[in-house]
Amino acid sequence: METLEYLTVFDPRGRVDAERVALAPRAAALKGLRLGILDNTKWNANRLLRKTASLLEERHGLAAVHYYRKESFSKSADPVLVAEIAAANDIVLTAIGD
Amino acid sequence: MAARFSAIETPSRSGQITLRVPQGTDLAEWYFEQGWTDGLPVVPPTAETVAACIAALGGEPDFLECRVPPRYGGLTREVLAINMVMAGCRPDYAPVVRAAMLALTAPAFNLNGVQATTHMAGPLLVVNGPVARAIGMNGGVNAFGSGNRANATIGRAIRLILLNVGGGTPGDLDKSTLGHPGKYTYCVAENEEASPFAPYHVEKGFDGDDSTVFVIAAEPPHSVTNHVADDPEGILDSICSAMSTIANNNAVSSGHCAVVIGPEHARTIAAKGWTRHDIRTYLHMNAWNLFRELTFDHRYGKIYNRNLPRHYKRELDSRIPIVPSPDHIHLFVIGGTAGRFSAFIPGWGHMSSPVLRGIEGSGPSGPVCVDGTCYL
Repeated sequence: METLEYLTVFDPRGRVDAERVALAPRAAALKGLRLGILDNTKWNANRLLRKTASLLEERHGLAAVHYYRKESFSKSADPVLVAEIAAANDIVLTAIGD
Repeated sequence: MAARFSAIETPSRSGQITLRVPQGTDLAEWYFEQGWTDGLPVVPPTAETVAACIAALGGEPDFLECRVPPRYGGLTREVLAINMVMAGCRPDYAPVVRAAMLALTAPAFNLNGVQATTHMAGPLLVVNGPVARAIGMNGGVNAFGSGNRANATIGRAIRLILLNVGGGTPGDLDKSTLGHPGKYTYCVAENEEASPFAPYHVEKGFDGDDSTVFVIAAEPPHSVTNHVADDPEGILDSICSAMSTIANNNAVSSGHCAVVIGPEHARTIAAKGWTRHDIRTYLHMNAWNLFRELTFDHRYGKIYNRNLPRHYKRELDSRIPIVPSPDHIHLFVIGGTAGRFSAFIPGWGHMSSPVLRGIEGSGPSGPVCVDGTCYL
């Protein structure tokens, strides 16, 4: 395969097969919306999230605040939980809080 | 840098990309410039060396073995072969590298988290069975150190795959605050010849003639010195001391760990009739911290610690075990036959479970006792 002019080199990265997915449209105003909080169970996530949620509620007047927990901060949330959050809320707040 | 070398993208027979660069190009430098290294020079692959590794994997270069997170690049046999050659592997290491990647990408291991964490953990591989001897792996003197091609290059091939295919580039998708030296290569064999106990994989239900690879997300080894004890309790109390700090990740995040007994210590312990099960149970019962130590007596606010099992009693004087059960301690006899040393290897925590996988199709054959009740 080698010619006098060229050497063959190899790309070791492997192909990524991915599909582009659009983000949900951004909420224009928070007043009257239902807020879902997803706690990733990191050390300080619950403190950070609860404080942020209470400030949002105070300033914007939310219709409801729902609290959810991931089983492990290092793993993806259970798809059943994600579907439940999507069905019961208009906006979602999450944070690392390490 | 491709433009500088006038590289031309030409899809290979298998759909992967090969490139061409002008004769006379310094290939080690060229791979550095692409960012396709671990920081050390790679062995530039050739069509012949890649083909030899693909053949050792069973042919079919397009066969997709797994996808490697967090980038989820496709690890075909051709890509696996390319990374093996770059690491310096011989083709006969191929079954070990493949089995290790399949173990690492099993859901229980959570490689996505291991690659991305700020903790220093990296995958440790321990190989058991005849394949370790056949390819000349080192489970003896300086096993965790330098000097053995199979240990060094199998571990390096894993790291190159995690970097190149998995995208675990430091500062990008690998967020480790410190990393550790085992993130270049971290691969050993159990010293079955020098061990007075059953091999690890036999304890887990494999046949002694089977070969296996064990993977665990691990901190570096912490040395355990004991030159005085002539009984199991004294040696194991030293290991418990290394385990019972509040700083290792098991102490605060539970999960699995590995314990390495040096051959001299192993002989002393075995001479008193102790089995692997006795050792693991003793370590589990005697390696703990008080909850007050883990919480600093609540001086920074009341701490519950959600990373520890729910069923732990969280009173200040409660004993908090380093790992939740004896089965969370993975025990190996490794090292040279001279020297009264062992090692504790903390894991990452409950976020990742170790995986033991048969090499070339071997699987566990079940408990070695007729009624399944005995412990090795």
